[in-house]
Amino acid sequence: MKAVIIGAGLGGLLSGAKLSKAGYEVEIFERLPFTGGRFTNLEHKGFQLSTGALHMIPHGARGPLASLLCDVGAGVTIIPSEPMSVIRNMAGEDIDFHDFRKEISLTKRVKLGTVLAYSLKFKPKDDISFRDWVMKYFEDEFLLRLADSFCGWSLSLRAADVPAREVLEIIDNMYRYKGPGIPLGGCGAVTDALCDVIRSNGGNIHTSSSVERILVDNGRVSGIFVDGKEVSADIVISNIGHMETTKLYKCSDEDYLAKLGKAKPSRGIKICIASDEALLGHSGALFTPYAQRINGINEVTNADPSLAPAGKHLIMSHQTTLSDNLEQEIALGLDDLKTLFPGKEYEVLMVQSYSGGWPVNRASSGSDTGNRTPVGNLYVVGDGAKGKGGIEVEGVALGVMNAMREIL
Amino acid sequence: MKVNQNCVGCAQCAAYCPHNAITVFGRASINRNCVECKTCVDYCPLGAISGDE
Repeated sequence: MKAVIIGAGLGGLLSGAKLSKAGYEVEIFERLPFTGGRFTNLEHKGFQLSTGALHMIPHGARGPLASLLCDVGAGVTIIPSEPMSVIRNMAGEDIDFHDFRKEISLTKRVKLGTVLAYSLKFKPKDDISFRDWVMKYFEDEFLLRLADSFCGWSLSLRAADVPAREVLEIIDNMYRYKGPGIPLGGCGAVTDALCDVIRSNGGNIHTSSSVERILVDNGRVSGIFVDGKEVSADIVISNIGHMETTKLYKCSDEDYLAKLGKAKPSRGIKICIASDEALLGHSGALFTPYAQRINGINEVTNADPSLAPAGKHLIMSHQTTLSDNLEQEIALGLDDLKTLFPGKEYEVLMVQSYSGGWPVNRASSGSDTGNRTPVGNLYVVGDGAKGKGGIEVEGVALGVMNAMREIL
Repeated sequence: MKVNQNCVGCAQCAAYCPHNAITVFGRASINRNCVECKTCVDYCPLGAISGDE
């Protein structure tokens, strides 16, 4: 059996590793000159920045991505974040995430316990947003800010733009899989390890190869057209999102196309800064609910110093893009950093923004359409087809697992 | 080199530019260091950079 994979991002590589391990002949085509997509390292001034995602795996060594990596035999070390995460409160103090209840009144604290326990068991069926859900039960300024900070950091969305049931699924997963971790060597170590697995299983990965067409015969994929030739395949897996995939063949399923039209990509801004001294001093995420724009920050060099030149720290902040005025959004983010680290000296290494055709997530949480397409043996994986309650790359891994359950 | 409206500001071009000729702040802008080597064209995920014709 032959599988052709379009795109060597995380979803494509995880699928390639899994299928090649199962005995498929795997051939991957990537249009960029490098593998890893928005989950690999980007070297700049001796620092290991990243093409997209931060160097952090949301559920660490016990999450879906880690278990899939282990399953396919990709050797990646994930260092658990310690503490898991920290919140900078209104007074400017950093409190452990588990102590967030201390920031609200005793009455609300008690109510939170019962409401959360009930809602985790019986998730809201309607489309109530996480913001409205928090408002409905608590009407609390701190909790609303924390909701925005959490959704912004983990999904690059405002709490008002995520269904409450999706966030509750994520909270469920946090109890199930626990907190984040830093992959030793950064995101690039993960995708590089997957490339090694695929090659050692006899698979081929072509870079700078842009697939021009998916060949469909009688509702079945027969192969693809790439670099001026036809490559036949028993199945095709696309890692470029549903919408981009439909541009490669004639898709006339109106219901499917209408559903895709509703999937909204999420946008965000990452600011990478360098400092001689540690600004956070730990390897967890710092949530910043009282910042104007920044949702959270991490300092990965506390877990893996090799991500920066000797003696330097690498700090990355993430914020949801709230308006179309990108320059102003970035300026507010830079302003936040000054307020969060008063009197500290640091250098802004790079400002990176993501939207539209190169977004944070192709289908924002809650607007995913699954792995299937109208064509039987054509599947979509990646951040355009995540699994339920999966944060970022964990969602990519859950989506790949779902697709593989159907295929294998 | 020219940057078109497809640019979202991911800065991949800037990191791969061998001449330190690209700065990014919401979108890429190309400065005088550019020698038209076209390295950036291949590294842009959105086909947002093209040569001056």
